Amino acid sequence: MNRYWIYVILASVFEVGWVSGLKHAYDLLTWIATIIAITVSFTVMIVASSKLPVGTVYAVFVGLGSAGTILADMFLFAQPVEPVKLLLIGILLAGVIGLKMVTKDPEGETG
Amino acid sequence: MAWIVIVAAGLFEMLGVVLLNRVARNRSILNILLLAASFTASFSLLSIAMQSLPMGTAYAIWTGIGAAGGAMLGMILYGESKEWRRIFFIALILGSTVGLKVIA
Repeated sequence: MNRYWIYVILASVFEVGWVSGLKHAYDLLTWIATIIAITVSFTVMIVASSKLPVGTVYAVFVGLGSAGTILADMFLFAQPVEPVKLLLIGILLAGVIGLKMVTKDPEGETG
Repeated sequence: MAWIVIVAAGLFEMLGVVLLNRVARNRSILNILLLAASFTASFSLLSIAMQSLPMGTAYAIWTGIGAAGGAMLGMILYGESKEWRRIFFIALILGSTVGLKVIA
């Protein structure tokens, strides 16, 4: 996997952080952490977009961010685990892997 | 009224994706400020719409318009690949994302 795809995944991880932050932040410190996560998430996404198609980057960013947020809700914030959610997350991951496979790697970057 | 607001939020997200393309090509301060302004407008309108629409519905419409519209504009304006497998996998990701948001 080339490093621009790793940036997209990293952007999604920070997205889970700030979406959780917007929902659960309760004091100055947690709000500062949330704002830092927003900044890191968008910065890393911009770097990824410089080499990968933006439509691809944004779809993966939004998809993995939502899947991660729902998993975080289940495992960190004790929301019920629903099979239909896990099924949709599985379909989503299949879409991400497929999209990765049909996207031409940036010049000079090998898998 | 909330429906107009949520569609506007989606359109600002689409604009944000187009601006992401601009920033990726030319990282000028102006482009970065426009990108930040566009996503700020989008998130603000989303949170206004969520005061009267169910959260899952609002998120799903917003994501659907923004990400699908952004991908389409990338193809039209920036010559991104229109290969059917790419469109299929983007649709698969967005379809499951919208589904997750509707039921969340």
